Amino acid sequence: MSVEDVRGTTAPVLAAEGLTLGYGGDPIVRDLDLEIDEGGFTVIVGPNGCGKSTLLKALGRVNRPVRGRVLLHGTDVRSQRPKAVARRLALLPQNPLAPEGITVRALAARGRFPHHTLLRQWSPEDEEAIARALELTGLSDLAETHVGSLSGGQRQRAWVAMVLAQDSPLLLLDEPTTFLDIAHQYDLLELFAELHREGRTVVAVLHDLAQAARFATRLVMMRGGAVVADGPPEEVVTADRVRAVFGLDCDVIPDPRTGTPLVVPHERAVARKAAERPGVETARSS
Amino acid sequence: MSRTIPTGPRPDVAPPGPDERPTGRILRLGRHVALPVHTRSLVTSALLLAVLLVAAAATLSLGRLGIPLTRLPAALFGEGETTHLFVLERLRGPRLAVAAGTGVALGLAGALFQSVTRNPLGSPDVIGLGAGAGAGAAVAALMLPGVVPVPLGALAGATLAIVVVALVTGTGLRHPGRLIVAGIGVAAMAQAFTHFVVSVMARDQAGVLSAYINGSLGARSWEHAATIWLVVLLAVPFVLALAGPITVNEMGDELAEALGTRATTTRTGAVVLSVVLSAAAVSVAGPIAFISLTAPQIARRLSAAQGPNLVLSGLVGALLLVCADLAVQQSPIGERLPVGIFTLALGGVYLGYLLIREWRKGSL
Repeated sequence: MSVEDVRGTTAPVLAAEGLTLGYGGDPIVRDLDLEIDEGGFTVIVGPNGCGKSTLLKALGRVNRPVRGRVLLHGTDVRSQRPKAVARRLALLPQNPLAPEGITVRALAARGRFPHHTLLRQWSPEDEEAIARALELTGLSDLAETHVGSLSGGQRQRAWVAMVLAQDSPLLLLDEPTTFLDIAHQYDLLELFAELHREGRTVVAVLHDLAQAARFATRLVMMRGGAVVADGPPEEVVTADRVRAVFGLDCDVIPDPRTGTPLVVPHERAVARKAAERPGVETARSS
Repeated sequence: MSRTIPTGPRPDVAPPGPDERPTGRILRLGRHVALPVHTRSLVTSALLLAVLLVAAAATLSLGRLGIPLTRLPAALFGEGETTHLFVLERLRGPRLAVAAGTGVALGLAGALFQSVTRNPLGSPDVIGLGAGAGAGAAVAALMLPGVVPVPLGALAGATLAIVVVALVTGTGLRHPGRLIVAGIGVAAMAQAFTHFVVSVMARDQAGVLSAYINGSLGARSWEHAATIWLVVLLAVPFVLALAGPITVNEMGDELAEALGTRATTTRTGAVVLSVVLSAAAVSVAGPIAFISLTAPQIARRLSAAQGPNLVLSGLVGALLLVCADLAVQQSPIGERLPVGIFTLALGGVYLGYLLIREWRKGSL
């Protein structure tokens, strides 16, 4: 399947050029090109192990590419100072560790690290950014609460508050809704959509195609370390493509609320495919 | 900025403790310096310093050879009776200076190491660093006297121990459970080797064996004091530069990198610094146990602040060791009891408690 580029063109803030990624052994992502435009809400989807999280980490300067490079405003992120990159680009990884006994406000304050120097570790902007991040995530009232005593949804919001306090125009989110119940998933996605409307460029890896289609302005579908489709959700999510990429027989109907594509699997399709490809359904990492 | 997002149901949440507000004062100097100061840490540091001074005065003035408190100021300015000056300059003065410096080094080493391993048990004295340094020091002092300086031997032993531990775990220093098991093995091997060296080279001297196995502050000189304080002072700028990145590293490598640090560089720097500080401590006082383990955790409880609490850990380390040595000096069997045996006995209890707690939490 060839890449079907159906986007309009504007100057990219973030671009991958001939990116090959891996951790030794076979590459997970091969020779990938991708441009992220300013102001978009791009969602990367794909089956487990397709390399979407690996790609996102490379875009966020966390993974060192085997080959190729990632350009932030036209300059290789590897040639820029790490803190300078972190002021323009925030990444929320999948399993961050909350320090024992830390409060919500103190966690959000950690997001200010890229703005600090050895001798200047506080500024009035810090207070503003932290207060704004707590307000946006609805955590102002819980600011002095310990992160460990929060519910799963609130805890994830606290992490989002941390990356928001980083105050970067570009936000990369790696499966931010995993392990949350459905209400909290939508709650968080609405927040990202609002941040996007306010002008941030958002790139997220998501598992749920319906959620991805509902919130994304652009959908990037990956398989086997390559981009197989790229464009507006209604053009990317088709029954044929879901069958080809995920191995799932389905109908795609318009979401009754939003009109965005909604995947309705055929009966027994999942069970049959699982039997044909043992192990695929249990693999968790992507 | 308006918000339209529903917050969702809020389950019961424990109210925050009154002492744990992360607010503090800002230390400002001109336009370019603005450092947040954690008020409680500052107050705690001042109190600890005061207690340390009291313990130091007690160390110099208690017991048969003690300098009476009223004569202490005169003796400190080099005046007074000859015996007092002898006690101050030859016996207890250098011993006290070595105890304090070694305590600072051990406390700092522990705070650095526990922070980068993200585990309270990932402490240099638990994972065999101290024992390795002790073996290296024994070889340098007893087998190669005059050929290899003792601090260098200790550094080589500590480095070898940490390299073996990192190789044996198969996952470097990331997995706390493996780290501790491998460390206990390496510590046992290092101690066996020290036993061997001492029994071959100094077979009639129990005190020598004890000094290299458990650590001792008996018969220290100003040279020892100068060694440990020089290393501590040289380490301070590196410790301060690492404080920020280490704190960020506690949230995981990926997030630390995303926030603009180099996670592996941070960890390597902290481990190297920790090895150097531990080796310096061991070269002047032997592998004194459990100061590295306990000091950072006591510091954290006192300050209720996040992060590695580096300065406070050093202070607590100094206070612990000075107090332990004071207790040993004033004990009925006095000078013959090495301070390391005392800290081992007390710290062992704490280690047991910690192992059980971490086991229950499932973090091992």
